[in-house]
Amino acid sequence: MSMSGSPQQLLKGREIPSRRIVLNDISQLPHDYSTTPGGSIFSTTPGGSKIFYERSFLLQCRNSPLTKSPPPNMAKIPGVTAPGTVDMPLENGNVTDENQKQKPTGEKAEHEDGPQFEMDI
Amino acid sequence: MATQVELPEDSHPGEEEAVAEENASILLSPEALIKHPLQNKWALWFFKNDRTKEWTANLKLVTSFDTVEDFWALYNHVQKASKLPSGCDYSLFKDGIQPMWEDAQNKDGGRWLINLNKQQRHSDLDNFWLETLLCLIGESFEEFSDDVNGAVVNVRNKGDKLSLWTRDATRPDAIMKIGKKLKDSLKIPIKIAIGFQAHTDTMTKTGSTARDRFRV
Repeated sequence: MSMSGSPQQLLKGREIPSRRIVLNDISQLPHDYSTTPGGSIFSTTPGGSKIFYERSFLLQCRNSPLTKSPPPNMAKIPGVTAPGTVDMPLENGNVTDENQKQKPTGEKAEHEDGPQFEMDI
Repeated sequence: MATQVELPEDSHPGEEEAVAEENASILLSPEALIKHPLQNKWALWFFKNDRTKEWTANLKLVTSFDTVEDFWALYNHVQKASKLPSGCDYSLFKDGIQPMWEDAQNKDGGRWLINLNKQQRHSDLDNFWLETLLCLIGESFEEFSDDVNGAVVNVRNKGDKLSLWTRDATRPDAIMKIGKKLKDSLKIPIKIAIGFQAHTDTMTKTGSTARDRFRV
């Protein structure tokens, strides 16, 4: 990635805060690898590092472009996950829109949905 | 953290691509394309009550995920709980834990149980379930998150149920903290109590309901 014009260059740098501690014996080293001797300043929580997300942040991610397609390995369950049979809510707009766009023109869609009418031969 | 961040105007001076992108309104920051990892990997299960089959044959793993974005990709493409036929369940459990009492991780545990009345299927069920899911994947139970195994929503004509399963029914501090947080997150009024039952009590119950070990 090019560094030209990146925000980091425009802002004045600041050193990462640190402090120095002296270990007199190997036993003073922490037991798990995610902590530093004397405890790190950032990124640890009581009981070890854990990834927490606030409700508001999780909700913000709902409309990320990465959430617009169903997971590729999702089980096909009619009425639950299978296309066409799930009553998708309008608030997930794109899903409904895509279905509507594909159906009239796409040959694949016709095959999936079966013939529109039956013929007596 | 916004999903769409406009690039600084001088970041690509004179580049036509940037203009074209802006016109197509697909300006995305790299951040919008990076998935946010979860502390745990979670699996969504679907259960459909078909009495002609074994209980376990009716249980299907929908998929598992371990990022915030993959959670929404799943949630946005599955049926709402309130639209499932009666007799169906959704379960969300940590990867490796089966959504049943018999699982080694569940057998000594229990559940906070919320009974909904028939009207609440339309007013509260989907909301309660989503809020519960967000608590699970966001690790809202803080130092007691490791006590949480998963959650289940049962869609039933006689009244829907939502439960949050913990791994050890003999840890009052963890259970109470989890129960309070759940009740708080679902905005259940203080005057309405919810109960915690040990799975061993539920399995050996003689009446219609097991006794509550804890209430909040």
